[in-house]
Amino acid sequence: MTLSKVDSQLSASPMAPETTFGRIVRFVTGNVGLMTLMILLSLLMLAPALWTIGLSLKSNEELMMGTDAVFSFPYTLKNYLDIFENSHVFGWLVNSLIVSGGMTFGVLAMSSLAGYAFARLEFPFRRTLFVIILMGLAVPEQAVIIARHQIFSELGLHNTHLGLMLPGMSMPFGVFLMTQFFKAVPKEIDEAAMLDHASRLQIFWKVLLPLTLPAQATLGILTFLQSWNDYFWPLISATDQDMFTLTVGIASSQQNFAQSEGLGFLASQAIFSALPIIIVYVIFQKHIVTAVAGGAVKQ
Amino acid sequence: MMKTTQWLVPVTVAALMSAGAAQAKTELHLQRFFGACEAEYGTNTDVSAAEGECGIMTSLINQFDAEHPDIEVKVTTVEWPGYDQLTAQMASRTPPDLVTMHNSVISDYQSRRLILPLDDLLEDAGVSPDEFTSTARAGVTRDGEVFGLPMDTWTMLYHINLDLMAEADLLDADGNPMLPGSPEEMLEMARQFKEKTGKPYLIQILSNETAAYTRLFYTYMFQQEEDFFGNGEAISLQNDAARNIVHHFKTIYDEGLTTKNMDYPATVSAFSSGEGGILMNGNWLLGAYNVESQKPDSELYNAYIAYPYPQLYANDDLYVDGHSWVMPNKKRNKDELAATAAFFKFMAENDYEWSRTGHLPSVEAVLDNPDFQALPYRSDLVSVTTRGKGLPAGVKRQFAIQDIMGEELASAITGVKSVDDALADAEARVNDLLSNL
Repeated sequence: MTLSKVDSQLSASPMAPETTFGRIVRFVTGNVGLMTLMILLSLLMLAPALWTIGLSLKSNEELMMGTDAVFSFPYTLKNYLDIFENSHVFGWLVNSLIVSGGMTFGVLAMSSLAGYAFARLEFPFRRTLFVIILMGLAVPEQAVIIARHQIFSELGLHNTHLGLMLPGMSMPFGVFLMTQFFKAVPKEIDEAAMLDHASRLQIFWKVLLPLTLPAQATLGILTFLQSWNDYFWPLISATDQDMFTLTVGIASSQQNFAQSEGLGFLASQAIFSALPIIIVYVIFQKHIVTAVAGGAVKQ
Repeated sequence: MMKTTQWLVPVTVAALMSAGAAQAKTELHLQRFFGACEAEYGTNTDVSAAEGECGIMTSLINQFDAEHPDIEVKVTTVEWPGYDQLTAQMASRTPPDLVTMHNSVISDYQSRRLILPLDDLLEDAGVSPDEFTSTARAGVTRDGEVFGLPMDTWTMLYHINLDLMAEADLLDADGNPMLPGSPEEMLEMARQFKEKTGKPYLIQILSNETAAYTRLFYTYMFQQEEDFFGNGEAISLQNDAARNIVHHFKTIYDEGLTTKNMDYPATVSAFSSGEGGILMNGNWLLGAYNVESQKPDSELYNAYIAYPYPQLYANDDLYVDGHSWVMPNKKRNKDELAATAAFFKFMAENDYEWSRTGHLPSVEAVLDNPDFQALPYRSDLVSVTTRGKGLPAGVKRQFAIQDIMGEELASAITGVKSVDDALADAEARVNDLLSNL
């Protein structure tokens, strides 16, 4: 049962008007079992993040003696202050933002255009091309990594932002998703626009594209997250320290084998690198939920 | 006005050119592991004030940079061990000028001519390979040529909690821990330790790690004088020497005489908090545990010592490896070669500072340095620099072999496979790997 359903049921009650807070309290007290289960599951999901935050607030020396030090005072912000002393971290952050943002923009632009073409236009070998693109879903990155690395090497694209973005822009899933969304939009809308003398580009840009915003949001978020967390390609393409992304940079900062001597510092870096994503999620939370829900149901 | 312009232009150009020449520095691109610690040591040029691998390495490079105004050092720090990145850089023909490398990995790059011999450059730098310890020299020599400036020799140690050993009646009259001289004696001591303290005798890394068991295995294969790698092209593991080792450590595991299910960091903190008698781990932890042993609130307070793995079989050989600076194969001009030579000379001259990390010196003269001798526990460890040995120089893919060995040995010791099956599988997998190179 969703909160909105509960809300509507409660609103229909013949009793005296009730505040929103009162409704929530009634819902919670009326579903103690469900709420307990939800709290427990939430804690289970949050445990790794809470543990990492705890580690980040402890000194490396204390953690070397045992990670149960997390549960006792004193706590410190020194690990976070140490991040700001590393002159490279902000450069890595900017690189990650440029690469993730650029890749997201590229994927959205290309997937939308390709999806529109596959869903609406008739051209030779359309089905064959679509199948070939879908076959890309079955090819793992590891199978093409050497060839790709050599091509990028010949083109001089290593240690550039473009070199980090380009591989992720060929996203078959994006083309598939956008094609399905465009197909779900009734063709009568196109026809109505054509009667108003709209061009193909105008129909795409002004009529259909706004209708696919939920899919765009889903695809954009998935692409951004995938790019932000990518490790393998940046590891072998961005070998200049100034071109590291956050994932590679933070890994390079580990102070010794298995990080037994700098665990707190590593945890603080992990939290720091997750902050932009968390901020994005908090700001766009409503859109993300809508997008994911929209993507899950065929409209 | 015209006349003024006529002489002003060439003078200005000449001044700019000379200024440019004066500012032109030779860039030296270094790539290393050992982590980043800029917050603490980013600007430190006083190496004597630095501690730990990261701190000392960062400070050494800072000091070299400060002492050589004609050279600009650029450092890229990579995640340990960084070979994926290095290989990618070599494939795209953009390798750094110098890079840190394990001696056990040198063959992989040397055999494909991806790194260069250093004999001539070392001579230019005034560094003779004869200055290195025999173990360090052997570690970087391939086909009679030197392919790396050795930084150190490292091995695995018994890190010992003296308080628990005393509780187990395993200290001699001088207060030194009694170490086993045979597998049988080791089992007796381990049982006695557990009976008296209620804790496991050994703290071992048995989860999510393959190197520790493999290194232990190599040491005890050497000690049984088993020539298990022959010419370096195939391994032979289906023999009594291998079975002896695995059965022995399986017994220790089965009887609960070791910790179980601990990964690397867990064992490091388990030893700190006194959860077992002996931690089997590398000499790089010496410095950290020495600091611990001076803290009154530590379980190791005044109760820590370290020794090389004890001799259990016929000889006292030990498996060792080392870190080196190697020079990737790429074109260099005269100034770049001179800068590289200067760096080699500096690092060789400062080998004592690096030995403070717990690693053993690669320069023989450091062994006689009173400052080195005054470092804690070193007197018990210096013999490693002469009796240590690695796998035969021609063995390639030693990191991959280490993973295979570690997986199969763990399977045997934890009972997932029989000892014979695990050894047969390890032999087949390693030989399959080597035959496809």
